[in-house]
Amino acid sequence: MNNHQINQTQLSPGPLAGRGTSFIDFDQISKSFEIDGQKVVALENVTFNLSEGEFAAIIGPSGCGKSTALRIIAALEEPTSGTVTIAGQPPTQQSTEHALGVAFQDHALLPWLNVAENIELPFRISGRPVTAERIDELISLVGLTEFKSARPKQLSGGMRQRVSIARALALSPQLLLLDEPFGSLDAVTRRRMNIELQRIWSEFRPSTLLVTHAVEEALFLADRIFVLTGRPGRLLREVDVPFERPRTDDTMRSEFFHRMVDEMTAALDSTENAPQYAVESLD
Amino acid sequence: MPSNRWIKNALPGALGILLFLLIWELLGRTGVLGLTWPPLTSVIATLIDPSKTALFLRATSASLTSAGTGYLAGGALGLVAALAGHLIPTLQEGLSRFAAVVNSVPPIALASVFLVLMTTESTPTAVAAIKVFFIIFIAVQSGLRSATPAQHDLFTSLGTGRFKRLWLLEVPTMLPVAMSGLKIAVPVALIGAFVGEWFGASRGLGVLILNAMQNFQISMLWSAVLLATLVSLAVYFILTMVESIVRLRLT
Repeated sequence: MNNHQINQTQLSPGPLAGRGTSFIDFDQISKSFEIDGQKVVALENVTFNLSEGEFAAIIGPSGCGKSTALRIIAALEEPTSGTVTIAGQPPTQQSTEHALGVAFQDHALLPWLNVAENIELPFRISGRPVTAERIDELISLVGLTEFKSARPKQLSGGMRQRVSIARALALSPQLLLLDEPFGSLDAVTRRRMNIELQRIWSEFRPSTLLVTHAVEEALFLADRIFVLTGRPGRLLREVDVPFERPRTDDTMRSEFFHRMVDEMTAALDSTENAPQYAVESLD
Repeated sequence: MPSNRWIKNALPGALGILLFLLIWELLGRTGVLGLTWPPLTSVIATLIDPSKTALFLRATSASLTSAGTGYLAGGALGLVAALAGHLIPTLQEGLSRFAAVVNSVPPIALASVFLVLMTTESTPTAVAAIKVFFIIFIAVQSGLRSATPAQHDLFTSLGTGRFKRLWLLEVPTMLPVAMSGLKIAVPVALIGAFVGEWFGASRGLGVLILNAMQNFQISMLWSAVLLATLVSLAVYFILTMVESIVRLRLT
């Protein structure tokens, strides 16, 4: 059960390795927006933490504020109250030091650049030197060697997301944030992408936070899952995922996997009524 | 079949133009609209009359020179002003209002002011420049804002500095929009030059039109108008092709 922890220690030795050290501290975060003069609470008093080298997932119903949580960690939004620290620093530090990789749901590829140039973009922005070999390596990592010179509009949705993931990994970031990266893909492609993502992730093992509404995806990829309720997003429970890595098609077919999917889905369903009392709790 | 479809698309347009020209010719031949409506054939005859070629060439090159100079100067000013407003937010609103005020002054009124301020020969250039300035200013300004929020989020998450964001994101998204502005500004620059020429310039298509009108040289007047239209259409067509190349490359 704890096999992956042993692997992790072997791969990244040092005082910070392993699950002991808290890397992200997401401490009592609340976030509310003003929409047409009405206050909408996206997150309410959410606390969790992520260890170095850990893969965690946030799941919850649509509009529960899980993307908001990720955006706060990426320093794209500020919390209304509460504090976030990453390695003891405010979240802006990660992006300023080019130590953050984000894959967005809208892949946000630049249409005037080809695959190689899109993957090279983080190097051009950070001013870090890069060799053609390194770009080729990243392209082959996501299996797009033949499409190196293709422009985004010539690629399928799955291929665009792979470019987006390669770009997020380009600078070997300490922290990888994945905001529903496969949300717009069909079920078959999505499953294949999950297997590929696990393989890619295992090569670097950056601390990773995945936001998804798909229970199977979270269970297949993550070490730990945070379940959020509907609006306002509150932390309902935290689930440790026991499957050994590397996880395979067989893992997904196992009875235990299905039982966990059912259990988690039931937990999520129980949050579906949340929006009603959420409105009441506003006053 | 593609060739079939092409004929199907182009045929109604071609027939429409032919019909228009035919009606023009007939109206001129019958003279129902009076002496001021000459038949098309006599307009074309004047236009290609070898004794007038030098005159037309001189006028066209004079107008193209002042329109072109005004176009480049106005375009450069518009680009610089839009970039300044974009990079220095405190300038933004003032610049937008200034541009809007300048644009709302009618070209005729502008020309008379310029006439007092500078020579009759530079007035066409100045009027063309002012009209082009506004179009390019607006196009560049909105083009610089046309990157998507997700693209901006990406650049923020990568810790991008201001000038790299401008150069790697905002300028590439601006170019197609600026290109549309450059295209629209072509006929506007020519109109500006013609209007400017009415205020005492010594040569140009505007001068030719004005003289022909005052001396009741009807087919000369129409020839000059036709020539002005053809020149404007030709430049517009060239820029339409450049625009489609830019769009193909950048979007």
